[in-house]
Amino acid sequence: MIMTKSERNLRFNTNESLSTTKLKNVRNTIVLLLLVLAAFLLLLARCFYLQHFKNEHYRSISIKQQQKLVTLKPQRGVIVDCHGRKLAASNKIQAIFAEPRIIKDTKNTSTKLAPMVNMGAHEICKLIYESKNPGFVRIKVGATANECSRARKIYGIGVQSDWQRHYPAGPLAAHIVGFTSLDNRGLAGVELKYDKELGGLPGQNILLADARRRSISLKEQSGRLRDGVGIILTLDATIQQFARAELLKQYEGYEAESAVAIVAEPKTGALLAMVSLPDFNPNNIRSADPNSFRNRATTDQFEPGSILKPIVAAIALDGGIVNKSEKIFCENGNYHGKGYGRIGEYGNHRFGDLSVREILVKSSNIGMAKIGQKLGKKKLYEGLKLFGFGEKSGVDLPGEVEGLLRPAQKWTGYSVTRIPFGQEISVTAIQLVRGFCTLANGGHLVRPYVVSAIVDNDGEIVKLKRPPPRVGFVVEPEVAEWIVRDAMAGVVNEGTGKKAKLQKWQVFGKTGTANMAKSNERGYSESEYIASFVAGAPAEDPAVVVLVSIRKPNVELGKGYTGGTVAAPVAARILEKTLGYLGVPGSG
Amino acid sequence: MGSRFCFVFVIFYFTAVLILTVALRSANNRTFYKLCTLEAEQSRLKQQLWQKQLQLENLINPASISEHLDKEAAPE
Repeated sequence: MIMTKSERNLRFNTNESLSTTKLKNVRNTIVLLLLVLAAFLLLLARCFYLQHFKNEHYRSISIKQQQKLVTLKPQRGVIVDCHGRKLAASNKIQAIFAEPRIIKDTKNTSTKLAPMVNMGAHEICKLIYESKNPGFVRIKVGATANECSRARKIYGIGVQSDWQRHYPAGPLAAHIVGFTSLDNRGLAGVELKYDKELGGLPGQNILLADARRRSISLKEQSGRLRDGVGIILTLDATIQQFARAELLKQYEGYEAESAVAIVAEPKTGALLAMVSLPDFNPNNIRSADPNSFRNRATTDQFEPGSILKPIVAAIALDGGIVNKSEKIFCENGNYHGKGYGRIGEYGNHRFGDLSVREILVKSSNIGMAKIGQKLGKKKLYEGLKLFGFGEKSGVDLPGEVEGLLRPAQKWTGYSVTRIPFGQEISVTAIQLVRGFCTLANGGHLVRPYVVSAIVDNDGEIVKLKRPPPRVGFVVEPEVAEWIVRDAMAGVVNEGTGKKAKLQKWQVFGKTGTANMAKSNERGYSESEYIASFVAGAPAEDPAVVVLVSIRKPNVELGKGYTGGTVAAPVAARILEKTLGYLGVPGSG
Repeated sequence: MGSRFCFVFVIFYFTAVLILTVALRSANNRTFYKLCTLEAEQSRLKQQLWQKQLQLENLINPASISEHLDKEAAPE
């Protein structure tokens, strides 16, 4: 087949245009592929950029979106008395709060919220407007579940659940139990002393959450929630009530400045009751007078007066400085000399020869001054130290003071004659109780304590605060027994403490009326006294020791101011009720 | 014919497993959420009971009883 020239040309042209189109297509494809490749490269580069350079940024955003952090606050432990009656416990409360900074229309929000929480709209409005914190203002504490679920739907309103400390007994044992701050930290009493144990440990759960912030699963648990442990006190709420009611009656009746009563078990040192007036209601701490927060039984020191005499007499008898039958001349009420000044008797009594027992029964200052002189500085100082004066008693309550017992080297002739009848020495009520518990315990030293055990949430005892076993004695048991059964029982039967006499039990005791030192000049005030009485019963086997100390009873009332008049009847009533309650058999 | 059936079966199998996995995960999430809700409710009820116990303690503690007796003993 022979092609003509024109045919050949046409075929060539067609082939040429076909190859040009093909080329174009190939070029387009390549360009497209290159574009796709470039896009992929760009994407890859972006991925690399996001993965490598922006990793942390997006990871944190993602974690924030996916995770939900829930902090679990531990429930603070309970504090119970020796019979398990609750004195402090925490319960969960729901609080409705507002966030003022995000609320645009306060009036509208308040109007919406008011009927839900049963409050006035103006009241809510006022709370939001007057809030100093732009992020938080509490609207209602203790809201119900229904109120909370309705209120949280309003923009700017939230619900917060928190622990609230509650004291079922109110002011009954306020100074022992103490109180906590708004953030549940112990601020006084056992709450402060055992804050770490009571507080427990908070936990934190990290949960995976969905878009609506609902928990999907537990991702991580950082720190395990541990509720606070419980504390069992030696305190008996019933005895505490006896002591508080009786003391309060006298404190108000005599318009006193303050008053203290302590009931202790002499064999162990366990405190059955401890009252300090004025007191406060720990449920309503904001309205309480801060002056009433002080537990005066451990923080207030005072010159004890004659109440110290049996202890000094016991030191002298134990050291063989005097004996029970020895007569001491009491100078007919006027003892003076160089180096120790003039000493008189209370009520200007003129005593002649008195035995140690009579000195205590009649509460002779001169007799005690002479015993002090016989003892000498060193023995008197050492004896008082052994009884625990001038140092903390070690009671497990915060803020205890040591009292004041100056070193013997700093004593003068005045000191050795004044200290035996309770001047020139400052003691706390708890130190006095410790001293008399030691006497009532046959001379064996005891340490007062208020916490008997620490228990975990299953009721298992974690720590038993048992008093240490008896070792040695401060004074010979015979001396201690004689002081208690003979001399101090004599004070109640025939001496200055007659008002503490009980029909059923033989009471032993000692009165003390201490003049208070003038605050702005030297010497003692003649109108300000501390009336005290320490007692115990039954004398043959003491079950309880009671101390009552009333500061500054109003002398102008004309009702009396001495320990025998003001404090002894209170101690007697506390003793009578306590012994009856404990079922202690009567004497003889 | 046989290979086509196998292919459909594999696709069907994978889809079913995928759907089951999603369903199980959702069920797990729902159950967990329910558990959390019930735990919260249980804790709320426990707290309510505890609160009642404290209210009872308020009424039967020696101070309240004594106050009550004093009020009763006081002349009208």
